[in-house]
Amino acid sequence: MTALAAQLQELSAVDGLSFPQPTDVHFARLVILPEATDLSGQPIPAHLVYMADVDGSEYNHLRQLAQHKADVLDSTFGRCQDYPQQRDDANRYRWLTTHRLPNDAAYVNTVGRGASQICDEARLRDEIEQFLDNHHNDLAKLAAADIHQAIWEHVLGCPDLAFAQRPAPPPPLSWRIREAVHMVVVPVVLILLIPVGIVTLPLWAILLRAHERRDVPETQRPDPSQVLALREQEDEAAHNPFAAIGVVKAGWLRRLTTIAVLRAISYAARHVFNHGSLAGVTTIHFARWIFMDDFRRVVFASNYDGSLESYMDDFIDKVAWGLNAAFSNGQGYPETRWLVLDGAHDEQAFKNYLRRHQLLVQVWHSAYPGLTAINIENNAAIRLGLSSQLDERAAAKWLALL
Amino acid sequence: MNAPVLDASDIQGLLRTGYGTLPHARFTVYSITTAAGGRQFLAWLADRTTPASARKAATATQVALTLDGMRALAVPEAVLSDFSLEFTTGMSAVSRSRFLGDIGDQDPSTWRWGGPAQPAAHLLVMAYGVDPATLNTLCSQIDQVATANAVDVATRLDTATLSDHEPFGFRDGISQPNVTGLSPSATPAGTPLTTGEFVLGYPNAYGKLAPRPILSAELDPGHILPLDAQGSGGADLGLNGSYLVLRTLRQDVDGFWAYVKSIAPDREIDFAARLVGRWPSGAPLVLTPDLDQGQLGTSNDFGYHDLDPAGLRCPIGAHIRRANPRDSLDPNPGSSESVATTNRHRLLRRGRKYGADAASSERGLHFVALNADLSRQFEFVQHSWLNSPKFDGLYDEGDPIAGARTAESANFTAQDLPIRSRYHDLPSFVSVRGGAYFFLPGLRAVRYFAGEQSS
Repeated sequence: MTALAAQLQELSAVDGLSFPQPTDVHFARLVILPEATDLSGQPIPAHLVYMADVDGSEYNHLRQLAQHKADVLDSTFGRCQDYPQQRDDANRYRWLTTHRLPNDAAYVNTVGRGASQICDEARLRDEIEQFLDNHHNDLAKLAAADIHQAIWEHVLGCPDLAFAQRPAPPPPLSWRIREAVHMVVVPVVLILLIPVGIVTLPLWAILLRAHERRDVPETQRPDPSQVLALREQEDEAAHNPFAAIGVVKAGWLRRLTTIAVLRAISYAARHVFNHGSLAGVTTIHFARWIFMDDFRRVVFASNYDGSLESYMDDFIDKVAWGLNAAFSNGQGYPETRWLVLDGAHDEQAFKNYLRRHQLLVQVWHSAYPGLTAINIENNAAIRLGLSSQLDERAAAKWLALL
Repeated sequence: MNAPVLDASDIQGLLRTGYGTLPHARFTVYSITTAAGGRQFLAWLADRTTPASARKAATATQVALTLDGMRALAVPEAVLSDFSLEFTTGMSAVSRSRFLGDIGDQDPSTWRWGGPAQPAAHLLVMAYGVDPATLNTLCSQIDQVATANAVDVATRLDTATLSDHEPFGFRDGISQPNVTGLSPSATPAGTPLTTGEFVLGYPNAYGKLAPRPILSAELDPGHILPLDAQGSGGADLGLNGSYLVLRTLRQDVDGFWAYVKSIAPDREIDFAARLVGRWPSGAPLVLTPDLDQGQLGTSNDFGYHDLDPAGLRCPIGAHIRRANPRDSLDPNPGSSESVATTNRHRLLRRGRKYGADAASSERGLHFVALNADLSRQFEFVQHSWLNSPKFDGLYDEGDPIAGARTAESANFTAQDLPIRSRYHDLPSFVSVRGGAYFFLPGLRAVRYFAGEQSS
């Protein structure tokens, strides 16, 4: 383990998870899940987890990984049990696919906006800002629509910004149809299940409440040395990686509740919170929940803007109910009522819980370390408005994005 | 919740007042050499520490300790680990420096006090006097007792005679939170903040008591401390205390005005006001964007969202808009929720400027802030509001006045019609000369720290 940790530290120092541009990888990371015991005292061995937020097919990404990051895989996963002896691309790829864990719920800040698009639009914005700086006094004398036109002409003259002459392409029609069908079918099925729900939901609520009364929240503060180690790796970029692990509370009720909640998050993230905001929190790029070890544990991982303190405050102030629903099935979580009440409203207890379950992210790569989700959204709006016909009013509004 | 009634006789007066009637002040940071001497000195100070209940007098004395100071008094480690992690880590530790932006030429190794190269900062005594002679008498008395107890002066922070303008020439100290039980009832406007945001042992903005040191009963055999109101049976060392942030911030007054002149030779005041967010009189730009109106000089009852969502009156990145964004941030800018969210990151400011002489190159502010949660209040304001290049949707600019400059945060944008003006490579106008996190104990806690039983 210490050799692996040292290897990861080395990888981290050389940004070992970076991919050549243009890339379809937004974020990538390697995380050690330390050895642990489950609620019955059974040991759970240590795991090494690779997570990436990628555009397109994950199998494509794994294939790329097997080909272009062979050395990284061999020097890290090579230390895992059953990693192939015969180290070739095909074996690595097969091993990766057989060890792949699907997300049980996932959030994407803006569905359909690729990593290379994000990087391109950032370049576009830089170029326009520079153009405004260089010609500020002349441009400031013009009407807004004329400034828009001048910027448009300037961008036309930049061959490496040719993409900006058109709005970003929408996702393929087939994909949109599939999403629309999914959006409708799930509620329809749920409506059909209402009679079952009428019987079971009150029962579930009463049982859950009984569990909540019995559950024992953690009261310990996080280990200071652990917090210092976590702080050591935070706040290097505009955003940070977050990872945490928790043990699901004992019993089938909690397990089923967790599964149901993650299903609901999955649906909401896909159809409701799919453009710029997760229930009011605008600082998350990607987030995911994954069951591990036969539903005994859940890993949560995200990429968020700003400091952890501001991330936690955002959560507590804006979506405490959602946090409670998502995490109160974890052993030791602050006391909740009816799944969504209290819990994270106990600020300090929640912050302690989070830090106590947080994991070091040994290696992390971001394709655009200087951008927040708000920046990215603003850049996209700049690109969209650039190629549109704008009247004076709309042009003035567009110029306020710069 | 069974929270105690605010006990003004146990709270140091600084939580209630900046001692505006005592215009002369000196802050002295001491190093303790022996635990016994330190306790003797503290015991002497305990009898002279001014509580919030005191009537106006010709002097006032306040006392605060760093973690190292508590160690020097031989306070048991079990007691120390109950303080907040930011406090026990210390302002000059690498992890805090990086977070606060005290890096590069602002690194604690360059500081005049509080850094690793300087005498240890243990004990802070803040002395106030109605006139210079009274202050001098008080300070020499304190120093004599310190010397007699082998307590050395680590640094002496003289302050300039109190005035309402900071060294750059702008009215200062206008925006103070209105706190239940602490603020005089007549001022200021706005929903009052809960006492527990500033004083430990009272409900905070979340209706909870902030974490604070509770000692097991045997660590306080003399029952100097009050019992924990939450019924743990322990002795409440934190009750009526607060965390005190002290930072000596040098202001480059000549550099500031030279820069302003280089950018806007024929409208210096106007441009400087864009950076600050107020006119020299204190009038906020959001209320009067084109003209300094003195009658608005102490105006503090305003928001940003309704009048100026885009920063056309007061730039988004202007100093006062960052230091207190009021109603301009998520959720729902312009709403009371937005104000409530901002209000979870407020500070009671009790600083004094230094360097009276306009010709002196050493002028600035001994910044003093009080709060119950260093992480959620002081450090958040410093990191996520003042220093963050991404504040409120911006890209690459920190606070033009008080922010730490890095290559990623040296711009300043003044939003304007039809297009914004952007300024590059702002020089640094404020530099950190020293600082430390202190704990400002309640009066009984001061006596506890001074007592033999803490050993």
